[in-house]
Amino acid sequence: MAATPIPLEAQGIKKRFGDVEVLKGISLQAQKGDVITLIGASGSGKSTFLRCMNLLEQPDEGELIVHNEAINFRATKQGREPADWKQVERIRAKLSMVFQNFNLWSHMTLLENVIEAPVYVLKKPKKQAIDDARALLDRVGLLDRADYYPTQMSGGQQQRGAIARALAMDPEVMLFDEPTSALDPELVGDVLKVMRGLADEGRTMILVTHEIAFARDVSSQVIYLHQGVVEETGAPADVLDNPRSERLRQFLAPKH
Amino acid sequence: MIDLQGYGPRLLEGALVTIELAVLSLILAVILGLLTASAKLSRNRLIHAVGTLYTTLVRGVPDLVLMMLLFYGGQIGINMLTDQLYYAFDIDIFINVNAFVAGVITIGLIFGAYMGETFRGAFQAVEEGQMEAARAYGMSPLLAFRHVRFPLMMRHALPGIGNNWMVLLKTTALVSIIGLTDMVRVAAEATKATHEPFMFMIPVAMVYLLIATLSEWGFAKLTKRYNTGFGESSEWNN
Repeated sequence: MAATPIPLEAQGIKKRFGDVEVLKGISLQAQKGDVITLIGASGSGKSTFLRCMNLLEQPDEGELIVHNEAINFRATKQGREPADWKQVERIRAKLSMVFQNFNLWSHMTLLENVIEAPVYVLKKPKKQAIDDARALLDRVGLLDRADYYPTQMSGGQQQRGAIARALAMDPEVMLFDEPTSALDPELVGDVLKVMRGLADEGRTMILVTHEIAFARDVSSQVIYLHQGVVEETGAPADVLDNPRSERLRQFLAPKH
Repeated sequence: MIDLQGYGPRLLEGALVTIELAVLSLILAVILGLLTASAKLSRNRLIHAVGTLYTTLVRGVPDLVLMMLLFYGGQIGINMLTDQLYYAFDIDIFINVNAFVAGVITIGLIFGAYMGETFRGAFQAVEEGQMEAARAYGMSPLLAFRHVRFPLMMRHALPGIGNNWMVLLKTTALVSIIGLTDMVRVAAEATKATHEPFMFMIPVAMVYLLIATLSEWGFAKLTKRYNTGFGESSEWNN
């Protein structure tokens, strides 16, 4: 029983929007230090799956277990919903999400963004939170931008700031939802560099991305989704370099 | 102090009534407006219907009619209730509908409906990603509202609130109908007695104008505050 708790486990996740079943029973297990990359064409369900993990979307079926704690659901007329929203809030605080469009709170400075949830959700003393935040901003190369508002920063800076905000929660698992897709090509490198650093220090990460080369470099596991099912999964060398299915081969083929 | 044929002090008291009435009504209207906007954006059909009924009713009936309905109708309703208490439990009480309270409630109710529409638009103008980030970081609905939705929404709501406030301020003049002695009523009485309308009505107009000017200054300050972080891209800097 001394086994370390599994940071995140999803079992048989199903989700439908109206008549369309976007997730048809997907499972995933993130051990400590794993970097799991979800790839697939748009509409494959990869972002929806990621959003189910912190319950921004409610899975219709399936189990979610975060750090050995299963999320309780109850049935309603409209379908299933979490039985205890306080539990959901507690679990979300352990799973920091980095969004495609950064979603830094635009009325707060970068520093305020980073300390907001630690102070008001985790109840960390403010002074401590500020010290920690400054160290994190230094790490992502934005200490000199601490008092800037998001609109005063480039997309790449905002995304690195958003990663600092995520790190400030000291999360069990970090969820990245296409973190470089909204960035100008020349700004992608800085963000990937920060993420690579996180992978190297053993952060548990689940990531939706189109950056195949990056996925090959940092992932411990790659999952290829197609129309809501796992089509192929395994080590990046197997999945990305020796795809078995024709579909994945086509997906990976260079698109001039 | 200007004497105004002895009406000066009463006019001043009347001005205070006007201000108190306007400020309290504004507070009530803002609270009702936030509730109404939430109701009209609710997925619950019943709550949505209540919100819609409220705004339709209030916006479709003249302010004056509503005020009299609430004042007299409210008194009749309370009398019926106290009569029932008397017959059923032998409790003998008489509650008089206070004109000031009736005024605040009526004006608050009327402008709550208008504020509701203002806030609804402002709620929807907040980018969904901002609230999503709040939820994703474990904020409770109340914390997310206070720290994210409300400050972001105010930017969009303030022009509408300012507009409603100006109209509300002038609507308070209607309360003289239900017997409340605001400055307009004092001035009207004084005019009747002295036949000198300008001596009283011009100071009254000046007071309204003064409050309106001060309010515009206040709203400009608030607008600046809630615009922090927006539109300062001149400092955009890589």
